Amino acid sequence: MNDTVSLPAETIEIRLDGQPRPVAAGTTLAALVASLGHAPAAVSTAVNGDFVPRGLRERPLAAGDVVLLFQPIVGG
Amino acid sequence: MNPSSANTAPDDAWHVGDVALASRFLLGTAGYPSPQVLRDAIVASGTGVVTVGLKRQLAVAGDNGFVAMIRDAIRETGARLLPNTAGCRSAREAIQLAHMARELYDTAWVKLEVVGDEHTLQPDPFELLVAAEQLTRDGFTVFPYCTDDLVSCRRLLDAGCPLLMPWGAPIGSGQGLLNPFALRTLRERLPDVTLIIDAGIGAPSHAAQALEMGFDAVLLNSAVSQASDPVTMARAFRLAIEAGRAARQAGVMARQDYAVASTPVTGNPFLIGGAP
Repeated sequence: MNDTVSLPAETIEIRLDGQPRPVAAGTTLAALVASLGHAPAAVSTAVNGDFVPRGLRERPLAAGDVVLLFQPIVGG
Repeated sequence: MNPSSANTAPDDAWHVGDVALASRFLLGTAGYPSPQVLRDAIVASGTGVVTVGLKRQLAVAGDNGFVAMIRDAIRETGARLLPNTAGCRSAREAIQLAHMARELYDTAWVKLEVVGDEHTLQPDPFELLVAAEQLTRDGFTVFPYCTDDLVSCRRLLDAGCPLLMPWGAPIGSGQGLLNPFALRTLRERLPDVTLIIDAGIGAPSHAAQALEMGFDAVLLNSAVSQASDPVTMARAFRLAIEAGRAARQAGVMARQDYAVASTPVTGNPFLIGGAP
């Protein structure tokens, strides 16, 4: 019998669209987008007020990061 | 049908960079009662450019199919998308949003909005200029939503904007061209610049007036989307814009302070009761 106990992955808290959200440490922006059910091209992303292009979403999120997702909408 | 060739004569195209546009009607896509009405209004307008926006994703996705319908409509008509930076209050915000729009909509065109006053939604000329300079460096084709101030307009041109979009009146107000003097001055002082009246147009007569004054095109949204029958109103604007443009080309007569008889009679046509 294996007595090792798997510890819960360390979590960090980010802010997603203005709301606090815990995510596993090491979670990338791309993984977050996928976990929310969005196809990569369906949303555009910003972290801490800066645009993050689709090709650069593999970076891990840090505690306190402010993540915004944008989607197409009607407009004038 | 390709309405982009239907609004004006084929030899009367206007250009944004290398892109030739026949229609002088740019149409916004917000506030329509249904996606189908929006689609039908786009087709009826004959527009070659439709504006779209971006919104922050707030948990629940979906826009009831409006954006999908826009994409269908532009595939059908050949119109191009013009994403905006609505809601931005600083150059930094607008620059970031423009980059997101370019990624989402796959176009380097951007309607640059940076608002400086909540009540009037008046453009902030200083933040607008900073954003225009940066976005031009970043390879965007910037359509700046600006005021009718001549000097700030010149600065936007110096920054690399290929055209200007001065307001006619506050966004959504439907008041028409509130400052014809300033607009005439813009037209006269910037004779070779593409000028599009953006915002404030409420009725087809306002649009016709803009074209008669020599503006190259108009961009409007609420006047169509808030009409009782948006599709018919889109057609009405199309006709008014055609009429205004044709009138400009034909040459509107000069105003006179007093009557000038139009019928070419000489003196009195009848001598009844006249002098012997």
